[in-house]
Amino acid sequence: MGIGEIWNLIAVQPMTNVLIVLSDYLFNNFGLAIIALTIVVNVAMYPLTMKQVRATKAMQAIQPKLAELKKKYGKDKERMGREQMKLYKESGMSPAGCVVPMLVQMPIWIALFYSIRGLLPLAPEGLLKLSQLLYSWDVVYSMVPLGEGFLWLNLAVPDSILVLPILVGGTMWVQQKMTMTPTADPKQQAQSRMMLWLMPLLFAFITLQFPSGLALFWVTSSVIRIAIQYFVTGWGGLISTAAKKQVTRDRRYKERIAQVEEAPSDDVEVTKEEEGLDYGKPGDKRQDRGGGYPTRSRATKPQPRRGRGHRPKRR
Amino acid sequence: MIKKLFISLLVVLLLGGLTTGCAMQDQPEGWSGGVVVNGTLFLGSMDGKLVAIDVSSHNRLRPDVTLETSKPSGGFLGGCASGSTAVAVYGTPAVSEDLVYVGGYNGKIYALSSSSGALRWVYPREGNLDPIVGGPVVASGKVYFGCSDGKVYALDAETGDKEWEEFETGDKIWSTPAIDGDTLYIGSFDNKLYALDAITGKEKWEKPYETQGAIACTPLVYNNTVYFGSFDRYFYAVDATGGSLRWRSEVEAGSWFWAKPVVYNNTIYAGNLDGKVYVLNAKTGLEKVDPIDFESPISSSPVLVGSLVIVTSEEGKVYTLDTSNNQKNELKNLGAKTSAPLFVSEGVVYVHTQEPDTLYALNVETGVTLWSLLLSSK
Repeated sequence: MGIGEIWNLIAVQPMTNVLIVLSDYLFNNFGLAIIALTIVVNVAMYPLTMKQVRATKAMQAIQPKLAELKKKYGKDKERMGREQMKLYKESGMSPAGCVVPMLVQMPIWIALFYSIRGLLPLAPEGLLKLSQLLYSWDVVYSMVPLGEGFLWLNLAVPDSILVLPILVGGTMWVQQKMTMTPTADPKQQAQSRMMLWLMPLLFAFITLQFPSGLALFWVTSSVIRIAIQYFVTGWGGLISTAAKKQVTRDRRYKERIAQVEEAPSDDVEVTKEEEGLDYGKPGDKRQDRGGGYPTRSRATKPQPRRGRGHRPKRR
Repeated sequence: MIKKLFISLLVVLLLGGLTTGCAMQDQPEGWSGGVVVNGTLFLGSMDGKLVAIDVSSHNRLRPDVTLETSKPSGGFLGGCASGSTAVAVYGTPAVSEDLVYVGGYNGKIYALSSSSGALRWVYPREGNLDPIVGGPVVASGKVYFGCSDGKVYALDAETGDKEWEEFETGDKIWSTPAIDGDTLYIGSFDNKLYALDAITGKEKWEKPYETQGAIACTPLVYNNTVYFGSFDRYFYAVDATGGSLRWRSEVEAGSWFWAKPVVYNNTIYAGNLDGKVYVLNAKTGLEKVDPIDFESPISSSPVLVGSLVIVTSEEGKVYTLDTSNNQKNELKNLGAKTSAPLFVSEGVVYVHTQEPDTLYALNVETGVTLWSLLLSSK
């Protein structure tokens, strides 16, 4: 028995047959069956998903510390690695925490993907292949081939009016934005921005090529992920009002500093705290995080701020 | 670092999925059967051409005629299913007088001159119907065919003009119609078998005969009975005149009945996708012997040569089944995927394999390959 046959036997075949039975229960509607099974699979994998979301959240939380370490030991890679591991240990998290649950879930998603695709054969060749995946349940044999209509869609062909590609791209963008890790590193910022757009656009493009049934599965998955993410971290990076306010405050603060530096000393009243700050000489490289994005938005749980680059309170 | 790695992996998987996913998506490639008329064999190749072969010299009569290339359909950029532009041909071409009729998966019926290959007419003249999977049949100056849009069409064989308003069923039609006298029998994915007046297109039975599964099998009419199998794994015999059930096979097969059955001496031989041939009494439906196992799905329709039933399994093994003792005998292992219906002429059995796209002519008694011809590079 080849690896493909084993894969079919343990993963694709059960899902295929469950999808057919679900279609029977859900008013002979394959679209509803796709949505239902996607929800069921998500519920079954909820503990793993939570583990992954929490690990991602923890990773976000230590980003400022990681940035500091990078600044400090960036050139000494060995030391940097040691310090990083130390930080992970202290924070009680594993760098693999985000990836392992995802890797475990991946075969299940791939099996679901293949099952949906197999159940929507366009060509007779596909239908013959499907016949080899069916269990000897009466309901299965009387249901196949499944009806392809759902709302305005023919589930076997791509959505020609582009609603699904937009939904796939849109929901994926929202999901990405919610999980985006704020970072002070301009390189990483650019990379994150690129990924924020690249993945949704890529999936939207793929949706133009694949049967709508698969796109329906992607949209449903994204919506469920968004809901889970919301309950764990709130809107995360999606609603960045707090971040905007912080940036505005930083800009005002910089203006005030410039004002102090340019104006004669008696024109501007400077508080003791402001006087005590070391801004360096004009033109020097800033030692703080350069007014980068805050480490967390207001939507996440507030924690006391610490660290050297923090602006002292005004009195 | 891990995130970067993961994202890169995901992008590679997605791009890979986009390309290989499309490649792995089952493309309609076709498995045309063939027909021999006046020493010329006509069949469709997997690169969308009508091939005409002189059976005496085993050579092509003329360069293959390309059926027009299909335009991408379904989806903004055409979708995976339309990656290939060659017209897939699944049905067996039909020949009448000087015309050959071929149904294409691109939703068109072509009528070409059998001698020159020149296109006489095409239906529809503009645009396309849904995919045509079953073959056309010609009778009384009309061409009949079923379409994936669920409709049965009747056209004037000479001109391609519509003869009667198409008859609509509840789902796709992938089977080839069977004509007996002035009645046309056809199965649909809506689980029903229909009997239509071939002249008017009106239903003949009070109501169509309904099974519990889709019908893709081409019906066989014999002794005023219509024989066909269904996706519900049962085989049926229905009164050809009134549409009432004569019998339903007692045994439930392991999979779908896809191939057209054959009948010999009041015995039905029906191949099933479970790899078995069911041998049933044509009058009672009772099994004459235990199902005969051919170890691989049977999607090619068998043929009868004398008292031998010739069966081909999907993996390309050709067998003879002796109707006197129901013993099978392996005639030839072509080792190539075969789903096209077998056909026979003057004691020679023709097998069209799909991988590679080749036509084999076999001697039924010895299994010797008399000749073979590569139809396309697919």
